[in-house]
Amino acid sequence: MAREVKLPKLGQTMEEGTIVNTLVKIGDKVSRGDVLFEVETDKATLEVESPADGFVKAILVENGETLPVNTPILILGEENETVEIETRPSGKPAAAPAKPDAGKSAAKVHTPPPSEAAETPGPTTRVVRMPKLGQTMEEGTIVTILVQVGDEVKKSDVLFEVETDKATLEVESPADGCVKAILIDVGQTVPVNEPLLVLADRDEQVPQRFITALVHEGTAPAETVPEHVTAEEHAAAAPETMPSSPPPKPTAPMEPAERLFATPRAKLIAQELGIDLRGVTPANAIRIVEADVRRAAQSAQKAAPPVTAAQYTLGQKIPLNRLQRIVAEKMLWSKQNIPCFYLNIRADVTELVALRAKLNKTAPVKLSFNDFILRALAIGMQHYPIMTGQLDGDFIRLAASLDFGLAISTEQGLVAPIVRNCGTKSVYDIAAYCKELIERTRSGKLSLDDLEGGCITVSNLGGFGIESFIPIVVPGQTSILGVGAIIDTVVPSDGNLLVRKLMTLTLSVNHKVVNGAEAAQFLDFVKKQLEHPDTLLD
Amino acid sequence: MAFSLEDRREKPTPKINDLIRQKLITKEQALDWLRSIYEIRFFEDKVYDLLGQNIIKGASHLYAGQEAVAVGACAAITKGDVIGSTHRGHGHCGAIGNKYAQTEDERQMHWNRMMAELMGKETGYCKGRGGSMHIADVKHGNLGSTGIVGGNIPPAVGAAYAEKYKKSGAVVLSFFGDGATNTGAFHEAMNMASVLDVPLVAIIENNLYGMSVPFSGSPVEGAGCAANIENAAERAAAYGVPAMIVDGQDAVAVFLAVNDAVEHARAHNEMTIIECKTYRWYGHSRSDPRVYRTKEEEKAWKERDPIVVLSNKLLDEKLASQEELDAIRARAEKTIEQATQFAMDSPWPRPEELSKDVYVEESYPADVLAKDKDNAKKAMVATRAYESLLKTLEGKTKKEIADKAKERIKSEYGMTVLAMKDAIVQAQAEEMRRDPNVYIEGEDVGIYGGAYGATKGLLEEFGKERVIDTPISEAAIVGAAVGAALRGLRPIAEIMYVDFMPICLDQLMHNGAFNRYMFGGHANVPMVVRTEGGVGRCIAAHHSKSLEPWLVNVPGLSVVMPSTPYDAKGLLKAAIRSDNPVVFIEHKATYGQMGAAPLDDYIIPLGAADVKREGSDVTLVSYSRQVMFCLAAAEELAAQHGINAEVIDLRTIKPMDIKTVAESVRKTGRLVTVAESFCMCGTGPEIVRQLFGYTFENGRTGFDYLDAAPVMMAAADVPPPMSEPLENASIPTPDKIVAAVRALL
Ligand SMILES: Cc1ncc(C[n+]2csc(CCOP(=O)(O)OP(=O)(O)O)c2C)c(N)n1
Ligand SMILES: [Mg+2]
Repeated sequence: MAREVKLPKLGQTMEEGTIVNTLVKIGDKVSRGDVLFEVETDKATLEVESPADGFVKAILVENGETLPVNTPILILGEENETVEIETRPSGKPAAAPAKPDAGKSAAKVHTPPPSEAAETPGPTTRVVRMPKLGQTMEEGTIVTILVQVGDEVKKSDVLFEVETDKATLEVESPADGCVKAILIDVGQTVPVNEPLLVLADRDEQVPQRFITALVHEGTAPAETVPEHVTAEEHAAAAPETMPSSPPPKPTAPMEPAERLFATPRAKLIAQELGIDLRGVTPANAIRIVEADVRRAAQSAQKAAPPVTAAQYTLGQKIPLNRLQRIVAEKMLWSKQNIPCFYLNIRADVTELVALRAKLNKTAPVKLSFNDFILRALAIGMQHYPIMTGQLDGDFIRLAASLDFGLAISTEQGLVAPIVRNCGTKSVYDIAAYCKELIERTRSGKLSLDDLEGGCITVSNLGGFGIESFIPIVVPGQTSILGVGAIIDTVVPSDGNLLVRKLMTLTLSVNHKVVNGAEAAQFLDFVKKQLEHPDTLLD
Repeated sequence: MAFSLEDRREKPTPKINDLIRQKLITKEQALDWLRSIYEIRFFEDKVYDLLGQNIIKGASHLYAGQEAVAVGACAAITKGDVIGSTHRGHGHCGAIGNKYAQTEDERQMHWNRMMAELMGKETGYCKGRGGSMHIADVKHGNLGSTGIVGGNIPPAVGAAYAEKYKKSGAVVLSFFGDGATNTGAFHEAMNMASVLDVPLVAIIENNLYGMSVPFSGSPVEGAGCAANIENAAERAAAYGVPAMIVDGQDAVAVFLAVNDAVEHARAHNEMTIIECKTYRWYGHSRSDPRVYRTKEEEKAWKERDPIVVLSNKLLDEKLASQEELDAIRARAEKTIEQATQFAMDSPWPRPEELSKDVYVEESYPADVLAKDKDNAKKAMVATRAYESLLKTLEGKTKKEIADKAKERIKSEYGMTVLAMKDAIVQAQAEEMRRDPNVYIEGEDVGIYGGAYGATKGLLEEFGKERVIDTPISEAAIVGAAVGAALRGLRPIAEIMYVDFMPICLDQLMHNGAFNRYMFGGHANVPMVVRTEGGVGRCIAAHHSKSLEPWLVNVPGLSVVMPSTPYDAKGLLKAAIRSDNPVVFIEHKATYGQMGAAPLDDYIIPLGAADVKREGSDVTLVSYSRQVMFCLAAAEELAAQHGINAEVIDLRTIKPMDIKTVAESVRKTGRLVTVAESFCMCGTGPEIVRQLFGYTFENGRTGFDYLDAAPVMMAAADVPPPMSEPLENASIPTPDKIVAAVRALL
């Protein structure tokens, strides 16, 4: 038996409440007492509990909606029960009018087109769901939709570009077919396995009800069902939009048609400096001005680190982007779960500086200090493999290969992709790999592979003039090396004063795995490698 | 001079032979009158046909039927005298042209050019810029014809004043219709002429109708009535001047009446009003079905056709045979046929020359421009120094301190320190000493010294001839200035408040600003209208506006608005020397503002902006008092907010020195315009429009260099309120400018 859940009066004076959080979705099994919604009143945030056991059949509200007490907000029913829902609020003239679209879309979803009765799709119908594109992937955000309803697609054609917490990936078509419905919209974040798109043979009819049900399977509340969640039948109702042959595919299908807003002067300066405006972020979030372009030009000039301070204004509320959210979670986890000790050492890199300058005159790929450091770490780890260890129950498991992270600043935030197999790479190999890795990072082309594993990360803030700093170990890794600036320093030597180029290295080490003496020897070894750089060239 | 009304229709008109005997005219002249009448008639008949064939386009108010007035009146003046014409002006133009034609060829050419003008051809009198309603040969003493009923009467007064002032002995005939005697311009002009004692003959061509409305009623059912008197000449009583009524169909009667009035004017500098009773054969214009008058009336008047009247006299008095008259007629017909052919064969004006002759092109020697740049900088520095001296020097009284400070500025900078008001007085005085053609007219400019003291002391030095207190007649003040300027004087007309400008805008725009262009570039109107505007004295909506956007909207005008005494003096002197009409608007809150200026004679080129403060972050463009506000804002922006604003004083709004603005925006990327006039369609939007259109040497435009949308600060869209807090709220002030700039950066 279906039953309506109404917004309860949760306090003496409560007259209305705002839905701040919907904790269930259609199809969920709930028990009496389970929290269904979080509701905010003028006094407090309160919970609405389920009055009975059952399955969620419909959610009648959306987050942010403010409703009078007693407004129906959810419908519970038996597992296989079909629930007919009228546009709410029925027969309740006293109730504040519900948001018109809310009622409308509820009706739209639940009223099948008159000609359509069958719910079972035909034999060629296939639902494309959000794939799990990496070990750790739980959800993905749709960045681009590359097809339209009516398009013919081949197996492995790219249908969507999806962004996960690690990378931007492509969702391919699992089969040949015609796109019958697209169930999500750009910008939506969809859990793994949720339906994205319906494919079928061109001639096969896909019942609207089937599509509707798929939509409700998803987390999207009815009201946020994207505009174009339509089946072919709907489109066919308007003949001019649905010719018998498939419509010509636009040359740049569904390209995020965001218009670029920049002042004439910004465009002019960008042209003069050769800056691509698409890569420029406006500090005022409204349009790109000259200062934004100049900043972009400056960061493009600086080989590393590439990012200058973003221009924020005091009092501004900056939305947290995905990357920063992940960084925040990981760093907190690290601080809470990895007990570190910290070691400092100063390496005399006078020779390294000279060597690098000499090599870079002819080197096909310019060598950076980081390349030498990665190489030195690789040699060091081969002598001190404990530095690759991870606690695994009663064991310490050593890494099978020397994969090192490299911290890179991007427009979106901090990323530390992995340089694989440093143990088998020459400094030149490392340089070439890193160059390509940095490019992929900056252009958002990292794969999930690039982001998994590693036993140490190199973080170099020398370019900012930082002498030394204590970095935080990346979860899953053993240590992290903070590299400071190279500074001309007066050094006593045999009663003389020499000016040498010194660089401070700071190693944060997971004490669960490694002890001070081992780590100290390792770091000293690495330092010596850097001080006698010829060995790094072997 | 006193009012008298003589109706000459009551007495018989003297015989032509009497006039010949008295040596007033020759027989040849009398025959030539008939020839002229025929020429005008055939011209009008031809124009009527050509309008029907669409060969002549536009309006044409035909003079047929009224020829005896133009011909008789023009016969009474000599070369060097002046006429003013109307929308129905082909007769006046035809008659005066015949007077100047020395040979048959010249006469033919005269009609050629008239016909070409009506067809809009380059060979026309006004190069096709004026056409039927503005046909005039201004070089031959024609003040031009006007499309605004009554509009040409005030300039005739000014022209008459100019002839009197120059002691040229010339008189001015001002033609206008019965309908025009109901306009304010007529009243203002007649009144002013009567008090100025000028050699003017005002000729009312009473053809009984102003378009469809009868002057003094009609038997036609439904017809209206324009005046409560029968004879327009009765209005002379209001001005205390003599008037006559004559038979306008009789060239001899018109000649005699005008001749008497002209003699009187020449001898005594006194005006006369002559009403000529006449009739137009055609409708008001070609489309007029003439339902307001009866066929009988038309028939009765046509019996007294000026051709018939004069022909009969010539025959009766045995001055010509019918054959001779026929020959005159045939010759006239041929002249007009040839003129038509000439006009048809003539080239069109070239669209590339569309903008030619709107202004007299003026340029300034490079050293004048350079000197101004130096002086302007020096004046700024010296003014600052003066202000700080006032704070540091000691003395018993403020005046003593100020005098000491002035002494110091004089010895250190070689500059004088003076108030805005005195700068304006000095500029006028210097130019009046320099050029005897410069004179001042306006309300309270004489003994009172100007409502804001801007003409103080000038009456004493230059006398009543050159500093004229006028009646409260804004249209006549400006219109008279136009007429005087057309006749070679350089009038400075003071309009007490720019708020009164709409009252005289017709004169300023249609005559002052447009005459040169409408008359094919043949007229110069070197006049200055000095006025003041702006809020700052709590005198509310009729005395506080800034109307420069209205004025810059007028092609042909220059508009100058100074912000400092240095600028005011140099710009006013340049304005007086300019051959174009200039409106010079002072700000009422700045008359006491002190500033440094050079000791020697200097002018500031019109159309050159002054960078009053250099900066790199934002360009503030302003003029008049708001420049001072911008400078104050710039100081605060620099001191408190680290923003370095450039402040440009346009000084001349039209022509606008957009180059200086554009170069600055190229540097700063940001533009804030600050004006005290109303926001809609204001100066700010105009500055932006011109900036967008400005092309640099590299092909980029002002638009390309903008890094933010321009901000246009201006007065709120409200009538300026009286109450001080509201007054301040209605305009940009330094705090608002600071806020706007900060929001932009
Ligand atoms: C200020 C103004 N008002 C109205 C008109 C339209 N208009 C043109 S001529 C005319 C009649 C003028 O009558 P009058 O002064 O008697 O001259 P007429 O046409 O009879 O020669 C009118 C109303 C105008 N041109 N200007
Ligand atoms: Mg009339």
